[in-house]
Amino acid sequence: MPDAVTLRDPSQRVSTRAPLVWGAAALVRGLFLGAALFVATVVAELFDMPAWAWAAYAVVVLAYAVAMPVYRYRVHRWESTDTAVYTQRGWLSRERRIAPMSRVQTVDLEQGVLSRLLGLATVTVTTASAAGPVRVEGLDREVAERLVEELTRRTEAEPGDAT
Amino acid sequence: MSERPPGTDELARDADWRHLDVRMLLVHPVNELVRFLPLVIGVFLLGSSNQGDPWHYLGVAIPITLGLWRFASTSFRITPGQIELRRGLLGRRVLTAPLDRVRTVELTASPIHRILGLAKVEIGTGSGSRTGDNRLVLDSLGTAEGHRLRADLLNRTPAVAGVDEAAPAAPIAETVIMRLDPSWVRFAPLTTSGIVIALAALGGGSQIAGNVVERAASASDLDERVEALPLVVTIPLAVVVFVIVVSVLAIAGYLLANWGFMLSRDGSGRSFHVRRGLLTTRETSIDVDRLRGLEVHEPLGLRLARGGRLSAVVTGLRRSGSERTTLVPPAPRSVVVGVGENVLGEAGPLHVELVQHGPAALRRRLVRGIVPLGLVPAVLAALAIVSDVPVWLVLATLPLPVAGFALALDRYARLGHALTPAYVVMRWGSLRGRRDALQRTGIIGWNIRQSFFQRRAGLVSLTATTAAGQQSYELLDLPEGMAVALADAAVPGLLGQFLTRLDRLDDRDVR
Repeated sequence: MPDAVTLRDPSQRVSTRAPLVWGAAALVRGLFLGAALFVATVVAELFDMPAWAWAAYAVVVLAYAVAMPVYRYRVHRWESTDTAVYTQRGWLSRERRIAPMSRVQTVDLEQGVLSRLLGLATVTVTTASAAGPVRVEGLDREVAERLVEELTRRTEAEPGDAT
Repeated sequence: MSERPPGTDELARDADWRHLDVRMLLVHPVNELVRFLPLVIGVFLLGSSNQGDPWHYLGVAIPITLGLWRFASTSFRITPGQIELRRGLLGRRVLTAPLDRVRTVELTASPIHRILGLAKVEIGTGSGSRTGDNRLVLDSLGTAEGHRLRADLLNRTPAVAGVDEAAPAAPIAETVIMRLDPSWVRFAPLTTSGIVIALAALGGGSQIAGNVVERAASASDLDERVEALPLVVTIPLAVVVFVIVVSVLAIAGYLLANWGFMLSRDGSGRSFHVRRGLLTTRETSIDVDRLRGLEVHEPLGLRLARGGRLSAVVTGLRRSGSERTTLVPPAPRSVVVGVGENVLGEAGPLHVELVQHGPAALRRRLVRGIVPLGLVPAVLAALAIVSDVPVWLVLATLPLPVAGFALALDRYARLGHALTPAYVVMRWGSLRGRRDALQRTGIIGWNIRQSFFQRRAGLVSLTATTAAGQQSYELLDLPEGMAVALADAAVPGLLGQFLTRLDRLDDRDVR
């Protein structure tokens, strides 16, 4: 009976500071778009944008920057076992990725400017397939470093060329 | 593939280094000559005064110099365990690839290569970038030497690695699996690739053709007669002319690429060889150990004519589905299936009955087929009411949602999957339909995607990732439980640890 089992969520949540990064990034994107609108309307005078439209734009950007990270935080999860890495990400649409430890080729740790300020890091695990590197965003730096170390140790133990 | 610092003593032993064939020096000048032929003829015919333009000589001199430089600076050797390619006269670099990473060997010979008895050898190692300087390309070797090299590369055995000088690779008795039947060109106009070739040719030739047609038309009173015809006659006429032109070009493209197509298995059974081409011949060899499955391409046109196309899923070749992994060009379905069975060594994956994805998947197909195409007449009708969009335009777009409906039904009917002892079989698509058989051991991960609407319908899209072919093989709109069960069964021991047992089916909705 195939419906009798289901895939559970990965066990670990990302850092509680991760939503701050997502929210800030959303605000920055909103500001850039706003600046582009400003140039188009006020400087280049391509079209008119009344004050209420500006207000509406600001409200939408703010609402998105608050609601999206909160919702996203409930979705983003990860788990690493002896034999596999398992992640879940997204908010409206969601994606789960599972890669066996024996097929892991590289493990990357990266930090953007914003993430560095907040002490966060992203871990990317790639396999020999061009489709689907497994990414965990918004981990505490120490957690990320421990994860990288753990993954490297486990993958070193695996024989073969992982294709 | 890696680069080693040059200048070590070991590299100074030049004895086993082999060079390109001297005749390669002729290839590029001849190429250039052919390219300049129209100009030369033009000069001869018109007696133009720009005969002494020094730039033209430069255009010939540069390729000759480059050719000389490349000949002098390129050499290669096979050591136990690896192939080394040495390049550069002043600054030297050595590309090294382990022999057991060699996935494919391709011999290409343009007409000029063929006249000179040469072939370009391209060695696919799969790892790293396949672009720029890191590709292992030997342009060119003598045909015989190219074949010998290919045998060396593909028939090494782990026990006796390297080249044994005393016993060179024995002449290989090949088993022919399939030969092209010229009558298969009837499938050429039905493929999208045929149409693409035709359109490209039309685009390239349109200027010349346009001029010629215009001149011919104005010379006679043809254009006046065409203009005199009513629209009801000219539109179908134009369509018929277009179909004929496209068909002819598609057939020409098919023959150019696939003339003499022959698929064979070498004597040791370790690799498949594909040989084809009318003017430029191409011989691709695929290592059996790198074969991860098959793709049976059944685009709508071919399917209606009971035809198909077969290509191999090979690790290390990024662009599968491209011509280099073709095992059977557009051909009758029975041939495609027969060859597929032969290559896989079993009939199962190509015949096994598929599991359909159920009513929710059908609903989603229908919505996605009908709604976007239904919007067109709906919007036009709305416009017709408020503005002056003609009513016949609305009526003309009414068949669109009907076509969408038919397409959706076909897409659902074809959507399905199955599991055999060694393969996962996925069938999907209508216009670009395919049936993929992917080795279960070749799957190196699962992606499970769910859009907002899929989540509400309890469906997921399941993607198997692999190092071969398209890199990912997606199965649309499976019920969630079915997807998990399939992924778990196909690659045992991976998903099991993340599964939880449900006591009641309703629990699924809680998450």
